[in-house]
Amino acid sequence: MNEERYILFDQYLQSEMTAAEKTDFEKQLAEDPEFASEFETFKAVHIQLENKFGFEAEREAFKENLTQISEKHFNTNKPKVVLMRPWYYAAAASVIILFGLFFFDYNQNPSFHDYNHPGQAHFTERSTTDMHLLQAEKAFNSRKFKDAILFFEMALKDNKTPEVQYYYGVSLLETSEYKKAETVFNELKATNPVYKDKALWNLAIMKLKQKDYKGCKQILQTISQDYEDYDEVQELLDALD
Amino acid sequence: MGNSKNHPDQMYIEGLAANDSAIIQSIYKKFVPKVVFFVMNNSGDKEQAQDIVQEVMILLFNQAKANTLKLTCPFDAYFFLLCKRKWLNEFKKTSNKGVTIHEDIVSMNESAIDLIGQTEEFDEKQQLFDTMFQKLGDKCQELLKLSFSIKSMEEVAEKLNVTYGYVRKKKSLCVGQLTQWIQEAKNFNSLKNN
Repeated sequence: MNEERYILFDQYLQSEMTAAEKTDFEKQLAEDPEFASEFETFKAVHIQLENKFGFEAEREAFKENLTQISEKHFNTNKPKVVLMRPWYYAAAASVIILFGLFFFDYNQNPSFHDYNHPGQAHFTERSTTDMHLLQAEKAFNSRKFKDAILFFEMALKDNKTPEVQYYYGVSLLETSEYKKAETVFNELKATNPVYKDKALWNLAIMKLKQKDYKGCKQILQTISQDYEDYDEVQELLDALD
Repeated sequence: MGNSKNHPDQMYIEGLAANDSAIIQSIYKKFVPKVVFFVMNNSGDKEQAQDIVQEVMILLFNQAKANTLKLTCPFDAYFFLLCKRKWLNEFKKTSNKGVTIHEDIVSMNESAIDLIGQTEEFDEKQQLFDTMFQKLGDKCQELLKLSFSIKSMEEVAEKLNVTYGYVRKKKSLCVGQLTQWIQEAKNFNSLKNN
């Protein structure tokens, strides 16, 4: 690289030469085409540098403004298909998935109501004379479980049979008195082998009612296959899987 | 052609240089749809058209700022042909296929063709310059950037914590290096063209 020459070019452009130096320089420009051509390029580089950095802030502002106007122009004119950017697809997909999950969840997990058969109480057939029990039975069979609970509680004071306990438990389950119901069924399960599986079944569907599918399954698995309604147990187990 | 007067459409050029949003918007509204139509009919899509337009607008801004853009023909024809040629060049680059360009040069007036030649030359020079600038060392790049944005060399020297004399000399040499490279490229091109 001809360092001297470029320093000279710069001095000339900055008007830092003496009159004699200047005359010499201009003489060389006139006589030496290669020298002149290189000086032209040097000047052009100067101009380009001035353009590049002198207007840098303005250029950035222009580009930003241009991009905004361009985006606005193209987006309002674009057909819908082009408009669909990936995030629109993502949003649409999430809505569909959420919607789907809502029903999926609903359908996929068995519902308490499908397995809830409180049955009919028939104490009176055994010609009971217990007024409370009669009223309890009547309330229970007409599905007034809240009333039934009150009457069962009174009846149980005089007549604590597993059958009465069982229907009392069912009434509690129907009115979602989970804690009390659980106590009743657990007691029944522990004290009476005849009611053991029935009690377990009710404990299981109580978990189902509370959407505790895992708990429900665990209890169902403890029910003996000899249980009279084992078909339903199996069905619920399958539904839970 | 040097004495031809500025066309009334010079206002678009001045609007671009001044970053005038209303002018830019009106260019998009009036002249861009034609470009989009052309690109889409020549193997491109809307987004490619958008990019081409943006590139040409920045090129016009740069040329206007350098005060070398004097419109002597309607902006419409000038702008459309610039975009069209840029797209076809781009397309040739990416597709490697021969493209038949149906240029209705007959309908173009001479000053438009001349003007487009000037703008394309400006574009080429600028691209060559940018390439060469990137070849410079970091120190040269930084010094030139400061020298041409701050202007006062005393301040530049202070900022870089060196003497004024050093900065002056270094600047001359950095500009010199660019000059040498560009001169070489020019000589190479003229050899190639002759």
